[in-house]
Amino acid sequence: MAPVTLGDLARAWIAVGTQSIGGASSTVYLMRSRLVERTGWLTRREFMESYSLSQLSPGIHLIALAALLGHRLAGVRGVLVSVAGMMVPAAIITVALSAILIGVTGHPLTHAALAGVGPVTAGMTAGLAVISARGTVRRGLRGALDVAVIALAFMTFVGTSVSPAIVIIGCGLVGILLLRHERPETERAAGEE
Amino acid sequence: MSDPVALFFIFLKAAALGMGGYGSLPLLREDLVLTGLATDEQLIQALAVGRFSTGPNGTYILSLGYFVGGIGGAIAALIASCLPPLVMVPLVAVARGRLLSPGFAGFNRGVLLAISGLLLAFGLAILVPTGRSGLAWWHIVLALGAMAVTVQGRVHPAILIGVGAAAGLLLGR
Repeated sequence: MAPVTLGDLARAWIAVGTQSIGGASSTVYLMRSRLVERTGWLTRREFMESYSLSQLSPGIHLIALAALLGHRLAGVRGVLVSVAGMMVPAAIITVALSAILIGVTGHPLTHAALAGVGPVTAGMTAGLAVISARGTVRRGLRGALDVAVIALAFMTFVGTSVSPAIVIIGCGLVGILLLRHERPETERAAGEE
Repeated sequence: MSDPVALFFIFLKAAALGMGGYGSLPLLREDLVLTGLATDEQLIQALAVGRFSTGPNGTYILSLGYFVGGIGGAIAALIASCLPPLVMVPLVAVARGRLLSPGFAGFNRGVLLAISGLLLAFGLAILVPTGRSGLAWWHIVLALGAMAVTVQGRVHPAILIGVGAAAGLLLGR
């Protein structure tokens, strides 16, 4: 197969960045479609291996996936082209939508609509927490320990002024000591993260 | 309008410590809302915009950056959210074996569990200020319904936001 040019790579990632409405599942679908099925640049195994590693990343996992896939295909320049190709168009679209929202925020109808959007957003966030927990909590007694860590983080946020940063780092350290038996089922969350 | 450099470091901290597109939410609420730089309403609006936008989960950060810092804030949020995931490229190259070790898996699990608990609490925290004149029954119905539908995963998030907006127009005036 001919080497992938940076121009080809940029076009593929710009397509992902502009067409993936709806978050992770549609973004992963488009990535796989563009880089594996349509072009044959990567095998499914290579894609899934990078996907699994990206789930260990800090921050937005799919940015890590774009970087890892870009590196496989075109080295360091591939990293930059892939991440920028996906994120810059998405950023432009996001800023444009935000500017439109600011433009209509003062209108009474917008105000009323946002009164309904708030609870939906709250519920969706809680739903994401359940999805994340479902993919991470183990079965049996180990699962009880996992749930206790979730409850501890919840109670700390609700009942104390301890920074979430401290909670996250603290639970990570607890994880090294007590939760190290097996890896989280990251692949199960393929369409959810 | 907030200083883009200060915003950059706030977003960088949130992106570095949060895992996943929404893992940064509790951190950003602490550093932006509780310090008065943003409001819960702006956070909710940013989440809604993120659900309509393209790209991965987590583009709400760019919208929030724009709300609090204009174009400079959005650029700060974009750069800050891209940097932490990039560490995976050298990490995978030099320490792939360690990333797959039981200790790192335990750390990863602990962080993911903490974020699950924090996101659950965050959902509760942004539900309460929604009802400025008191939390109405339909706020709670909408939140529980959105939670159930999100867990089920069969309805596009933008449709859920649209249903919420329609309910607000009917019941929120």
